[in-house]
Amino acid sequence: MADKLNQILQKQQQQILKPDKTDNIIQLVGFIIGDEEYAIPILNIVEIIKPIEFTRVPSVPDYVLGVFNIRGSVIPLIDLRRKFNLTPMNNTGDTRYIVMKGEENTAGFVIDRLTEAIRIKADRIDPAPDSIGGDKGMIYGIGKREDSMLTILKVESLLKRDF
Amino acid sequence: MDEIQEILEDFLVEAFELIEQLDQDLVELDTRPEDLELLNSIFRVAHTIKGSSSFLSFDVLTKLTHHMEDVLNKARKGELKLNEDIMDVVLESIDMMKELLYCIRDNGNDTAIGMDLDDIINRLEAVSEGKDILEDVAKEEVEEEPEEVKEPEKEDSEEDYSNMSDDEVEAEIERLLSEKKAEAKKKRAAKEEKPAKKPAKKPAQSTKASSSKPTKSAAAAPPAKKQASTLEQTIRVEVSRLDHLMNLIGELVLGKNRLLKIYDDVEERYEGEKFLEELNQVVSAISLVTTDLQIAVMKTRMLPIAKVFNKFPRMVRDLSRELGKGIELKISGEETELDKSIVEEIGDPLVHIIRNSCDHGIETGEIREQCGKDKTGLIELKAYNEGNSIVIEITDDGKGLDADLLRSKAIEKGMITEQEADSMNDREAFALIFKPAFSMAAKVTNVSGRGVGMDVVKTNIEKLNGIIEIDSEVGKGTIIKMKIPLTLAIIQALLVGVQEEYYAIPLASVSETVRISLDEIYTVEGRNVLRLRDEVLSLVRLSDIFGVKQVYEPGEYTYVVVIGLAEAKLGIIVDTLVGQEETVIKSMGDYLQGINGIAGATIRGDGGVTLIVDIASLMEMAKGLKVNIRESMQTKNKTKNSPSDYTVLIVDDSKMDRTIMKKSMEPIGISIIEASNGQEALNMLKSGEHDIDVMLIDIEMPRMDGYTLASEIRKYSRYKNLPLIAVTSRTSKADRLRGVESGMTEYITKPYSPEYLENVVRKNTKLIAE
Repeated sequence: MADKLNQILQKQQQQILKPDKTDNIIQLVGFIIGDEEYAIPILNIVEIIKPIEFTRVPSVPDYVLGVFNIRGSVIPLIDLRRKFNLTPMNNTGDTRYIVMKGEENTAGFVIDRLTEAIRIKADRIDPAPDSIGGDKGMIYGIGKREDSMLTILKVESLLKRDF
Repeated sequence: MDEIQEILEDFLVEAFELIEQLDQDLVELDTRPEDLELLNSIFRVAHTIKGSSSFLSFDVLTKLTHHMEDVLNKARKGELKLNEDIMDVVLESIDMMKELLYCIRDNGNDTAIGMDLDDIINRLEAVSEGKDILEDVAKEEVEEEPEEVKEPEKEDSEEDYSNMSDDEVEAEIERLLSEKKAEAKKKRAAKEEKPAKKPAKKPAQSTKASSSKPTKSAAAAPPAKKQASTLEQTIRVEVSRLDHLMNLIGELVLGKNRLLKIYDDVEERYEGEKFLEELNQVVSAISLVTTDLQIAVMKTRMLPIAKVFNKFPRMVRDLSRELGKGIELKISGEETELDKSIVEEIGDPLVHIIRNSCDHGIETGEIREQCGKDKTGLIELKAYNEGNSIVIEITDDGKGLDADLLRSKAIEKGMITEQEADSMNDREAFALIFKPAFSMAAKVTNVSGRGVGMDVVKTNIEKLNGIIEIDSEVGKGTIIKMKIPLTLAIIQALLVGVQEEYYAIPLASVSETVRISLDEIYTVEGRNVLRLRDEVLSLVRLSDIFGVKQVYEPGEYTYVVVIGLAEAKLGIIVDTLVGQEETVIKSMGDYLQGINGIAGATIRGDGGVTLIVDIASLMEMAKGLKVNIRESMQTKNKTKNSPSDYTVLIVDDSKMDRTIMKKSMEPIGISIIEASNGQEALNMLKSGEHDIDVMLIDIEMPRMDGYTLASEIRKYSRYKNLPLIAVTSRTSKADRLRGVESGMTEYITKPYSPEYLENVVRKNTKLIAE
């Protein structure tokens, strides 16, 4: 009896340990803005929706497009193209709103197109180089992939009001 | 430890409730010193607080209340005749008692503020002994209250009061201990579930009420009796729960609005279907119940304004003594109910207004007599409902406000220029008293005169979206009227359209809407004003304040929404009035918190978001705005000299047809632009890039046909009179009729001669061939 119990306990122990090993794999969602691919942690995403109607809000910077209604909550809509100082573009069939949630804020972000869900090992992510770190600290790190680079964004600073 | 804490909390809640009652009773006692019932209830309060505080070993408080009780007890038994001087000492000691209670609430003990009691106790003793000779006790009167009988006897028999109070303390301890035990027992029973903790407390309280009655403890009986009667009918609920409930109702109201909107759409599409009837019944039932529910929940949050009014008799009494004036306060409508959050905000402004009335309004007795007025001044405090708001009126029969004096004082202080002062009417001059640091008092007293009070009034009322009106006549008195919305969570709003955007203006702030023609707008020193009856009203365009993109020009007439906030008024120019709607204010989150001019957002019936205007900050923004409305509204009407200044828009999907039309119009020399379908034409029109004078429209086109285009164009007031000429091969009478219905001005059938087209265009642009 005790043996059996021990076995079960060991099994459980292993099960607990296993995810520990995979823990340094980070899951991200990739998307395109302009010519570059960016990514944010999957856990920060509330949902991804097709463009819907929004209401303009006066006296805010131009990258805040307005507010929209998502299941009874009113949340701001931010155009990442404008935020990154790229030329604004009309919505295409691929345009999506990503609703991101931080510790305090929730907001929708307009992106050009989604790419894929990405799993990347933590040690494949380099911290943001100092030279571009000045970009209001929006970059969490650079993910190196076999054939490309991935800019991982800091959700908290995207959601921080800077006006 | 926890239990002590709980007992302490109960004690404090109870004590504050009792004190509120006490204040009122004491002032009433002033006028009816013989009222035994009143004296008894006052005595009970002092007694209860003494008993509980000694149990909780607040020695300072016990000592104070003990001496108070001493005086009151004698008064109650008729050994002591109450007069003004005694009342002053008693009232003062009650103030000290309050202070001690606040100290206990904040610090957990009564020694933190280190109050010195010697003086007050000496005085209390003095007044109590000063008239100790009156031994003929009017016992019969006391017998009225059976519970009370024991007490006077007991206390009669003993000269040494400290001994007596010890007995009482003992009794009290016993009582509370047994109560504690009962409570502990209940707790143990409900050990597992935490939520059960709160309800468990309530039964314990009621056992206190019921169990203490049979016990011999006379000390606890009177307050217990009082509690028992209130406990039966009320439940104490945390405010946060009510807030949550209110939020849920808010969601429900939004859902209801949505449902109504959908029903309208469905009704249109399936007209005459049988199921519509049933749907209609359900929808109306739900909307009715939702409205009722909303009112019911709102009512649970309502408190009678008496909660605020109650402290004023005492305040006015103190002030009148201090200022040496005779002042009477008349209160009416104290049962009027208001949302709890508003009741909390309304107290301070009222204090300031009443202080002002006492200090500046009411004259001294001699002056009043000279003026032929009653020697005692009268201040009336009135509350009543008016529509969806509550009105609080403070009237005094004092010397009134002198508008000219106010003007000159403001000029002296450099707040306004002489010119501004001249253009001010009396009402605007009265409003000067709300300016910060403006004071009419010759000297600063400790009652008022610092010029802070009325500024507080204004700020608080603004916060509540309220309106203040002042009316005054020199020598007759002043009336200050405050209009405050009943509740803050769900508000009635006026929906207005500005270009293609919609905004909601809280209806409580809207005093009226008027339709004016542009000619009625005057410009005075860079300000746009409108003469509305006998008032001059500043005007701003909502589109200027919010930087709305000008898609199209408004017509000759425009709408003005007159809003009022606190003492100020402003006219807001909007393009359309949509109607009244129930809105629930939703925050836009931290990210968009505190945007200038926007109070929040609400979700409309169609699921879209509409922004709610923040009247206070809108008025601020309006001040900084310098746009000549009339000019900017008319600039577009520039004079056209040559035919090429005129533009014709050709809408046709066939390139060939367009070319034919162009050729026909060449002799006029008019500028020509083209669109290949209705949608494109509409967009061109809306973009405002071209100033179009006439349109030639084909009927059959992809995306949007000519009829639809015409009716769309006619929706914009600016294009009400734009000539729309249908050019089509459809010749039937029905087609022509439809053309007229959709708003076409002329109907040309293909094929046509170039000259005919040319003439029609000339006629419509008034470019007659030379």
